[in-house]
Amino acid sequence: MAVAAEHRSQARERSRTRRRFGLSFEGRLMAPALIILALLSLLPFLYIIAMSLSRVGLIGGISLHWAGLDNWSRLFSDSSVGAAWVRSIVYFVATVGLEMLLGIGIALLIYELAWGRNLVLSLLLMPMFMAPVIVGLLGRFLTDSTFGLYAWVLRETGIYSGDILGSTTSAFIAVTLMDVWEWTPLIALIVLAGLASLPGPVMEAAAIDGAGYWKRLRHIVLPMIAGVVVVALLVRSMDAIRYFDIIYNTTNGGPADATKIVPIRLYETAFRFFDLGYAAAIGLSLLAASILVANLFLRTLKRQGLAR
Amino acid sequence: MNGRKIGIRALIAVVLLWTLVPLLWMLLSSFKPTSSLAATTPELTFTPTLEHYRALFSGGNDIGGYAVNSILSAGISTLIAVALGSLAGYGLARSEFRGKDHVAFWIISTRMAPIAAAVLPLFVIFRATHLLGTTTGLIVAYLSFNLPFAIWIMNAFFADLPPSLEEAAMVDGATRWTAFRRIALPLVLPGVATTAILCLVFSWNDYAFASTFSGPDSQTLPMAASQLVTQTEIDWGQLTAIGTIVVAPMILVGLVVRKWLVTGLTLGAVTGE
Repeated sequence: MAVAAEHRSQARERSRTRRRFGLSFEGRLMAPALIILALLSLLPFLYIIAMSLSRVGLIGGISLHWAGLDNWSRLFSDSSVGAAWVRSIVYFVATVGLEMLLGIGIALLIYELAWGRNLVLSLLLMPMFMAPVIVGLLGRFLTDSTFGLYAWVLRETGIYSGDILGSTTSAFIAVTLMDVWEWTPLIALIVLAGLASLPGPVMEAAAIDGAGYWKRLRHIVLPMIAGVVVVALLVRSMDAIRYFDIIYNTTNGGPADATKIVPIRLYETAFRFFDLGYAAAIGLSLLAASILVANLFLRTLKRQGLAR
Repeated sequence: MNGRKIGIRALIAVVLLWTLVPLLWMLLSSFKPTSSLAATTPELTFTPTLEHYRALFSGGNDIGGYAVNSILSAGISTLIAVALGSLAGYGLARSEFRGKDHVAFWIISTRMAPIAAAVLPLFVIFRATHLLGTTTGLIVAYLSFNLPFAIWIMNAFFADLPPSLEEAAMVDGATRWTAFRRIALPLVLPGVATTAILCLVFSWNDYAFASTFSGPDSQTLPMAASQLVTQTEIDWGQLTAIGTIVVAPMILVGLVVRKWLVTGLTLGAVTGE
């Protein structure tokens, strides 16, 4: 502690002595990026707040007309937005939940492999680099009721013979599985890194003591990788709130609104109905959700001493 | 080989099938003749053809221009983000100031802002500044998530580096800039590569920003893919071909930095092998 404090005070001393134009060396390194970031984030942030308090006119240039809290009171009484939030939460829990369970399971499996670990992992990671729009379009191809490979498999095995993206329950399951297909590898990758950092001797000692696999898993392995699992959960959660490309390019909210999550609703409000003020209010509520998760993420980093 | 080992391998085989079948099917379908694609029972044997790839690069729907736009907007945004992000990441890692936590929180929440929410004010601002429909507009839009990402990750990579090396160099008379440029930066080159590749993947794969901000002169490959879907019919041959073109380069570059992916994708919270 004392060493760290001394180091810090030295660093402060150093930056004070080398201060030029009122900015330390570090400050001058940070300035260009932070100024651009401020223009790209604070400006839009203030603007979306202003939009949410206005009626936004688009004809003949953009104009904001003060509307007070109209958009906000509408937001809290709009049952269709409420329904979109419920669907969003169900979609979020289903996708992220399945990805966590499968990802942890797959990481444990790969961890057991004596050889070929890297090859298997590389093959498994491939979906993660795909543009979500291509995942969506490929999903449409596979589930197409005439030409789709998966539609054919389901039909031949007698599991399902309807139009997969055409009816509400099956469409919701399909878009959920597309997301799970793309992002489970991310969880597996992170959890595997946690497993790889486990001290070998602890595992061996437990095995020698006669603890079976499931016992070791429950009492030793899982508690030791809990921190990494939480990081995986939070990283994935932040992205899950961010993206909507897969649904946008498969069902676009349909059929009968079955997959209309909040971002889709927002897009439709803004760019189909051109009600930008109301869309801004929806957007801010979405932003609040992501800020909450980002906050949890930072706190976890700090608690685990991982913050730098 | 005991039963347990066989069980593990069987399960891994199932996982690999689930993961790889869609990708292989896309690749395979992109070389299938149209008649074979239209078969209601999936066909595994066919005479491979390049007709779909040829169709993508000819006639009125030539995707060459889209590819150029994709490379320019993703590439330039990545270069700017990595250059500025490395400087700022180093500055952040080596400085102590009051409110550093708040700056960190601001950076990460900018990166994590839902795209649908970010698109709205940017759309209005771009419209007012005539950036709509231009490649410059897309580069700026991609910076809005690539720049905070690059700052954050480079900060994590630099923070892992003990400052004693740079201090030793400075004792020998190096300036702080030289210490950064000649000592610290070369040591985090894997970090720079990882950051660059992830920035490239994020912006290359973007659909939401491109579909809202780009016009005829700035449309990217993911848009070309979604435009192949029309009300009346979908040309699955061309769609799987363009899918392969969009996806293959990103898988290749992504796997190049596999060792450092964990650090990059967890924003520095977990370090890899």
